[in-house]
Amino acid sequence: MRFRIAIIAVLLCCGFSALFAFQAKFKEYNGEEDNPAPVPKDAFEATEWTFARLRYPSGRYAGYSSERGSWPTDFPKADRQFLEGVRRLTRIHTRSTEQVIDLIGNPDEIFNWPWVYAVEVGHWDLTDEICKTLREYLLRGGFLMVDDFHGTFEWAVFTQSMSRIFPDRAIVELPDADPIFHTVYDLEHRLQVPGLQYLYSGRIYEKDGTIPHWRAIYDDNGRVMVAMCFNQDDGDAWEHADNPQYEAKYTSQAYRLGINYVIYAMSH
Amino acid sequence: MFEFLFKYPPAIFEKGKFVLLSGMPVWLLFLLVAAVAAGLFWNMRQRHGLLSTARSTAIWLAQTALIALLLFMIWHPAISVARLRPQQNVVAVLVDHSRSMGIAEGGKTRLESAEEVLDNQLLPDLSKRFQVRLYQFGRDAVRVDQARNLSADDNATRIGDSLKHIASEAGTMPLGAIVLLSDGGDNTGGIDRDTIAQLRQLRIPVNTIGFGPDHFAKDIEIVDVSTPARALPQSRLSARVAIRQHGYAGARVKVTVRENDHPIAQQEIVLKPDVDQSETVLFNAGTAGAHSFQIGIEPQAGEENKQNNAVVRLINVGEKKMRILYFEGEPRWEFKFIRRAVEEDPSVEIFTVLRTTQNKTYRQSTTGVVEAHELENGFPTKPEDLFRYDGLIIGSVEASFFSNEQQAMIRDFADRRGGGVLFMAGRFTLSDGAYAKTPMAEMMPLRLLPDKTWSRDFATATLTDAGRESVITRVEEDRDQNIARWLKMPQVANYAVMGSPKPGAEVLMNVAENGHRPTPLLAIQNYGHGRVGVFATAGSWRWKMLQDHTDRSHAMFWSQLLRWMVNETPGQVLSSTPHQVLADDTQVPLRVSVRDKMFETVSGATVQTTVVRPDGRSDVVELKPDPLEPGTYAGDYTADKPGTYVAETSAHQDKTELGRDTMTFRREDGVAENFGAAQNRDLLEKLSSDTGGTYYTPGNAKKLPGEVAVSEAGITAHDNLDIWDMPILFLLVILIRGGEWLLRRKWGVV
Repeated sequence: MRFRIAIIAVLLCCGFSALFAFQAKFKEYNGEEDNPAPVPKDAFEATEWTFARLRYPSGRYAGYSSERGSWPTDFPKADRQFLEGVRRLTRIHTRSTEQVIDLIGNPDEIFNWPWVYAVEVGHWDLTDEICKTLREYLLRGGFLMVDDFHGTFEWAVFTQSMSRIFPDRAIVELPDADPIFHTVYDLEHRLQVPGLQYLYSGRIYEKDGTIPHWRAIYDDNGRVMVAMCFNQDDGDAWEHADNPQYEAKYTSQAYRLGINYVIYAMSH
Repeated sequence: MFEFLFKYPPAIFEKGKFVLLSGMPVWLLFLLVAAVAAGLFWNMRQRHGLLSTARSTAIWLAQTALIALLLFMIWHPAISVARLRPQQNVVAVLVDHSRSMGIAEGGKTRLESAEEVLDNQLLPDLSKRFQVRLYQFGRDAVRVDQARNLSADDNATRIGDSLKHIASEAGTMPLGAIVLLSDGGDNTGGIDRDTIAQLRQLRIPVNTIGFGPDHFAKDIEIVDVSTPARALPQSRLSARVAIRQHGYAGARVKVTVRENDHPIAQQEIVLKPDVDQSETVLFNAGTAGAHSFQIGIEPQAGEENKQNNAVVRLINVGEKKMRILYFEGEPRWEFKFIRRAVEEDPSVEIFTVLRTTQNKTYRQSTTGVVEAHELENGFPTKPEDLFRYDGLIIGSVEASFFSNEQQAMIRDFADRRGGGVLFMAGRFTLSDGAYAKTPMAEMMPLRLLPDKTWSRDFATATLTDAGRESVITRVEEDRDQNIARWLKMPQVANYAVMGSPKPGAEVLMNVAENGHRPTPLLAIQNYGHGRVGVFATAGSWRWKMLQDHTDRSHAMFWSQLLRWMVNETPGQVLSSTPHQVLADDTQVPLRVSVRDKMFETVSGATVQTTVVRPDGRSDVVELKPDPLEPGTYAGDYTADKPGTYVAETSAHQDKTELGRDTMTFRREDGVAENFGAAQNRDLLEKLSSDTGGTYYTPGNAKKLPGEVAVSEAGITAHDNLDIWDMPILFLLVILIRGGEWLLRRKWGVV
């Protein structure tokens, strides 16, 4: 009898262990890549941190209705080029490839990645379930960096979604003295980082987003949970870091800002 | 029977010296025995006839033994013994009149039994041979005229102090022996070595007569409770309760912790068949200040002594915020989540230095305040800078990052400064960071393996037996719920395989991947004046991210682990006293350790303790340096009234204050005799054997007057007592000869 109980107990423990052991590995999204990049040999290395990109539903508001949606904008080249920078410039143990967090297919995977990035959030269309997951993620200690959304309309889309995640928290402008601008680089003086389009249009802003904003939602202890790079496009700066026409001053700031945000997320 | 066979009582043989009085050399005795044996052997070989070798050997042995015995008797054996000269010596008779002697057994109190033994047996016989001085003793020995109508009313028993008092009188009178009638219920924790040494030096035997049963038929006693003397506010504390029971095996009882008569924690236990058992009960220390906790078991039906079911312990809950330095070699999620956990703890502040890039560090404090120059050069290079902290966490930092001096400083931080050090696992540390041959490996509770062992595989943490009882790993109030809670805890994200625990180390948690052998995950030990732990993962952050945001298990675990690190970290001035609760005692030995900023001992300090009495008045005690222990200052205070006393100590050197410390102690009256109320026979027997005396029961105490004369104290004469004519020897002669004859008859060779 005791032996049988022991066997059952061991099996139950194994069951629990298997449940908690699950963590997604690197996976390619061939049909959805915006700017394909080669997969490095060490793509599957287990590391402390990697660039975790949110794969979210999109299209309803902005008429952005292509099959792939807006989530993979600049993907995966921006991710992998930024990762190279993080490897070179910091002591973070970093993988060479990004991790896509599929908020529709496997939403709980987000809890294994305490830093996530979402692009074109002026086009996302979050379900109630995703809002609930994101709220829980952020309250547990997760960090969300959003980027590449511009102008009044996209801001409205974004804030409407954020109000469903945090009806009770305000979005505020980050002061220059906030630690997030000083973890590695002092970034009191910041530029508006434009998307690639500025090379063709001559404008460093998009839509009516002429003034860049670095905004945030804080938790109860004054720590940034959601960092918003509004009216700017750091993703393009990472993606085109190897483009001789794209000015280094923008790339430089994008890398510095991204690294500051990552280090902040890993230290606050 | 013994005396019939051996002519004298056992005490003569125990205390006397064996001598041979014939005057002939001993070697001649041995030579003759050998010669006789050889001659008989030769004879046996020549004339064994029909006997087998075994039978002829038996005959030879019997004959040799007989001749050897007779030769031994011819050499005139005797016992040389010192004996008290009649009528010229004093025998001191001490009667215990503490309250425990008032316990009745068989219709008579122990004191009444002692009086009966004295009146009917001892005093009449002793008085014929010696001058008898009669004393009653409890706290001290007081001379009395007669052993009648004594009252068992003293609140304490100090056998050692009483004997010391009597021994001090030996210089003014020929004290030949001491007779002590007691239940052995000494309240001072035993008889000190000095007293025993003094009695041995004076050669005064202490003969004891024990009263009372070895144990009660039905009783539960709290033998001891160990709790920390100091704690941080709202700390979860562990009380280790030692319980002794008779007659209640299998009973379910509750160990309760009370403060101001209100129960604040309770643990149900089952009393084991073993007499002694130890249980752990956890409780909250409460807010800053001096707390008095009563810890015990409710009296059970039929208990013979209900006054020994609870004890009081004092705990000083300090207000100081403990400072921990966390040095991390690379950005890691563990770093962030440890900081977050500690931010919720108002008693602990973590200062962190994080190596973000190859040439930059990032300094933080959990209170958000970092002084401009604090840690600006990274890890401290001077002991006084490191020793400002109470605890130290070393993250993923390679051993070569630290200079030899810094490595020694880290060891000294625990060893000399008394701080707590925690080593975390990582890709640059422990075995992977080449720590094996550094002073840091020496201080760790776990051995390091020679190869790299860091792995980013997920693994399950499990509690060990020690972990199930530990305060550090208690994330649920109830013990069983806590065990169940850990079974559901998310896996850790990584771990390092560690070697075996060192002697004295305690492994609280193991970790194992599915199907792999467990390896220690969390181990702790005391090292020097401080404490050292190894937490062989940097992946406990999943306990936060993989559980509901309201779950506090991660924060509680870290808060408790860090509090363990720093709770007992001393300041430069540390005051103490052996017993914070004085049970029917008034003397408070004060000891203060004084250190400088390097935590080296300070010899020339002015150390003063201000004691605030229960009624609010205060006394000042100047403490003097202890010549045997540099840096320690000692003094005595007399707590003349029951109640709680607060002692604040300050130390100065050259008008500079080195530090302050506060402790409390409490005098309680009328409690000491409630504990250990059964006869402490072990103590009485040991006292007698250590001093050359004999232990007696009331039943065989009548032998005492005859044996008490054997003593080397007082005025003695050495007597040689013949033993060649002991009946046992003649009996042996008859037995050997008769045995041989019977064997010969049996074998047909008569």
